[in-house]
Amino acid sequence: MTIGLRDGLKKRVERLRSLPSSPAVLQPLLDLLRSPSDQIDLKKVVQLVSYDKSIAAQCLRIANSPLYGRARETESIHAAVLSLGIQRVEDILLTCCLHKFSSGAKWATDSGAFWRHSLGCAVVCRELAERIRYPDPDKAYLAGLLHDLGILVNSLAYPEEYGKVLAVATEKGIPLAEQEMHELGFTHCESGSILGNMWQLPRAVNEVIAHHHDVSKAPGDNPLVALVHVGDMLCRLRGLGYGYEEWRGVDLAADPAWGDLSKLCPQLSKMDMARFTMDLDAFVPRVQALVEAVFAPNLKHGEVEQHH
Amino acid sequence: MPGEVLKTAVLEINEKEEGQDPVYLKIRDLVYQTCGIYHSEEKLYLLVAACKRRMADSGGRANTGREYMELLANTTRREVEIRALLNEITIGETCLFRSQAQLNALHNVILPELAAERSKIGLKKLKIWSAGCSTGEEPYTLAMFLMEEKEKLLKDWAFEIQATDLNDRSVETARAGIYGDYALRNTPELYKRKYFTPDEGGKLKVRDELKSHILFTRLNLNDDSRMVFMKGMDLIFCCNVLIYFDMTSKRRVVQHFYANLLPNGCFFLGQAESLFQVNDQFRLVHLPGTTVYRKPGAETGKVGKL
Repeated sequence: MTIGLRDGLKKRVERLRSLPSSPAVLQPLLDLLRSPSDQIDLKKVVQLVSYDKSIAAQCLRIANSPLYGRARETESIHAAVLSLGIQRVEDILLTCCLHKFSSGAKWATDSGAFWRHSLGCAVVCRELAERIRYPDPDKAYLAGLLHDLGILVNSLAYPEEYGKVLAVATEKGIPLAEQEMHELGFTHCESGSILGNMWQLPRAVNEVIAHHHDVSKAPGDNPLVALVHVGDMLCRLRGLGYGYEEWRGVDLAADPAWGDLSKLCPQLSKMDMARFTMDLDAFVPRVQALVEAVFAPNLKHGEVEQHH
Repeated sequence: MPGEVLKTAVLEINEKEEGQDPVYLKIRDLVYQTCGIYHSEEKLYLLVAACKRRMADSGGRANTGREYMELLANTTRREVEIRALLNEITIGETCLFRSQAQLNALHNVILPELAAERSKIGLKKLKIWSAGCSTGEEPYTLAMFLMEEKEKLLKDWAFEIQATDLNDRSVETARAGIYGDYALRNTPELYKRKYFTPDEGGKLKVRDELKSHILFTRLNLNDDSRMVFMKGMDLIFCCNVLIYFDMTSKRRVVQHFYANLLPNGCFFLGQAESLFQVNDQFRLVHLPGTTVYRKPGAETGKVGKL
């Protein structure tokens, strides 16, 4: 990316920061995400979640989904934090914040597809992490949730151009990043990592945002990049993609990311991938139903949303 | 009948609820270990329903899921019972156009790539094997699909489908090519008009022109001496057949499939099957909504582009 292009992109992302819909709890939540998990005060999390009524309601609906491993229906934020754990509730809160952040703006793309892909990828990454005994599945969830932050950026900051990008990618059935590079000169990896840096997201997560399409450029000590790369790929081939079918075949085992990940998580090579994909199919309708139930009032297919 | 429909719906709900019974998860794992057919959570109710039908037929040997698990795992009847359960699981599975995801993957990804590669060496011919073709639904589906491809991507190409099954009677039925509404429930109207003629009792009969692309024969997949002669295949389909084999014979049969495929050829299993621990030479390729096993290319030892 040229310097001029990067500066232009930065300016547009700067403008995004001041979106009127940006929820007040976003910044304190981002601060919280950076602090070590053993130092986080339960009360503080409950307070943050409860601050915004609409966000709190969405959080509860998500927390009660079987996808989030709740043992029984929870009616209070406090109970949700206790039963799901602080970190998981933070993730849920962030999902809802991001949704609110972006819901007041014009979307160039189908925002429903974005949320299905992001939530789906988050759930799949967490599941994959658990199976290959990656030590921090909740971190994998967070990374999966945020990996395509740049799609949100591009969609909001370049509404016109991005509509075209998506239309062409859909028609050709090619990966979104390919068409972004062609049309915009950069991909959602770059734009996402600019916003991620501004928000001071945890380093590991930012690396995922920046490198999940080209694992070779990622620092070698972060298995999350390869993990999300694999999870993202599986989602895109199993009905939780960018809202269209990508016509290609992927041999994951021949992918450099697979090699990287197997080195860091040896359990991966013993994994029955065919069976994992079959299990994954069971997630798809659930993720769709969840996104429908939680965000539906604000979602319209390919339409511009407006409520100021 | 509306009453029937309601009853089925209620039964389905009950079975979905009973799917929560952990004993069915154990049965699921047992089925997967013995035959490689896997019921993900959303499909578990189908397994529960199959178990129920077997229980009702067990002459009182098993009345609960737990007792049925015992019957499957620890009795002298276990092998017979597992086979009977597999029959229940796969019952009604056969129809034409059963797996649209496989056909989409062929149309959009596999065939374009294969066609490009084969034309480089001037070979405009595809050889396909439907192994365990049962009563012919799969080979006829593939034949119709390829006839359509011949109008676009595969213009001037020839194709030949070998369809084999162990069961004489199945092969006879397949040759006759007469199907009723149930088998044709997924078949588009256009295809019905184009490739079938009306037959007795409202059934439809496959046109001879379509049949001419398929060679039906009886073949035992365990018969090594015949298996070695099925060479030069581009695509092999073996859906819901290997589930009846034990691990040793499964490995041997799959090894034959591997050897009989041309480099970069593709091997298709049923949607719920995997080759995990059966064969590690094939490469698992993920495609939209489905997976396929691919034989690596000759020179590189790596999987083709796809």
